[in-house]
Amino acid sequence: MTIVFGVFLLTLMLVTAIAIVRTQNLFVAVMLSGIFSLLLASNFFLLDAADVALTEAAVGAGISTVLYLSALALSAQHEHAPYSSHRLIALAVVSFTTLAVIYATFDQPRVGDPAAPVHQHVAPWYLEMTRDAIDIPNVVTAVLGSFRGYDTLGEVFVVFTAGIGVLFLLDKPGARHSQTQTVGQVRLRHYLIPRLVGRMLIPFILLFGLYVQFHGEYGPGGGFQAGALVAASIILYALLEGETRALRALPRRLLTLLIASGALLYCGVGVAGILLGGNFLDYSVLADDPVKGQQLGIILIEAGVGITVTGVLLSIFHAFAARGRF
Amino acid sequence: MYYAVTIALLVTMALALLRALLGPSVYDRVLAVNMIGTKTVLLLSVLSFLFGRPDFLDLALAYALINFIGVLAVLEFFRVRAEQDKSDANTESR
Repeated sequence: MTIVFGVFLLTLMLVTAIAIVRTQNLFVAVMLSGIFSLLLASNFFLLDAADVALTEAAVGAGISTVLYLSALALSAQHEHAPYSSHRLIALAVVSFTTLAVIYATFDQPRVGDPAAPVHQHVAPWYLEMTRDAIDIPNVVTAVLGSFRGYDTLGEVFVVFTAGIGVLFLLDKPGARHSQTQTVGQVRLRHYLIPRLVGRMLIPFILLFGLYVQFHGEYGPGGGFQAGALVAASIILYALLEGETRALRALPRRLLTLLIASGALLYCGVGVAGILLGGNFLDYSVLADDPVKGQQLGIILIEAGVGITVTGVLLSIFHAFAARGRF
Repeated sequence: MYYAVTIALLVTMALALLRALLGPSVYDRVLAVNMIGTKTVLLLSVLSFLFGRPDFLDLALAYALINFIGVLAVLEFFRVRAEQDKSDANTESR
């Protein structure tokens, strides 16, 4: 039955994806990509991947729509008709790739097959070692934070680099201030109902973000999701109360500091491991008891991830807003 | 019981998606997105009981909290757009 639900949701996703490609109206494309993200999250949930579904929820539902719309406010609402000269080549490449991918799926094991290669390689070792070495219920967090700490460090640096890149593209140092003053103050402050309801919700979203951050070892969640949730609550504040007030609460200088300090905290935990006589990102040496050390290390690096993600998302939002139109 | 509810929710999502695809007005699409968002919250809650893991309700909660930020952004987008059009019209008439 679950398979039927999955296939149904995947079909809906396929229809949505084709519609996104087909439509020339970019606003419609943004709305449809919101739908796509919701369907994708339901699919992740069906496959029991709660952590990924939560990420998709936090980033896809709120923030990406806001960012797409701010980008759209800077450009035209309609896409120009694409060049037609290379259409046949493109069609041939896409058809060939599709056929190759479909051919490759014949060799794939059934979903959830215990004999599948993915369950034979390192996964059993992770499952066994999580109980002995780290002693937290959520294996995903253990894998993400400790066993594959290097990969997560890489991810944080990808977020860090991407944030810096976007800021380089969007920031116009000279023209910034005058525009923010005039446009940023209006916003949705005159709409009574959204403003009242939104203001009531902001503390709860923040609280939920902190819960996701620190409950990541026990349930679905962690730094990436929490960072997105906290950023969403502050973006909500900026939408309701105006850019200027949001910037007064969290100035851009502080946001830049957040971006750097999160990544630095992650690296610092790794270096602390070396200084205390272990390997880079080996948390066992952080406390007297190796298990406690692992838990402490995971909490610290998750905090680093959360800080960086919050900083990057908010900086990108403010950079868009500073362009004056949104 | 849960199966029946899940199927009903999936059908509702499909219908809302149809409205989002057909349009015709922008508001139809905005409402359709909002509708699918609400249905996703419900679907996740029902599925978490269906799988016997009510602790996964966290996800539904996250959606319920964040979902409407997108809609507010749409509202703001149209407000800005309308203001732009007004100022454009003013400069043209001069």
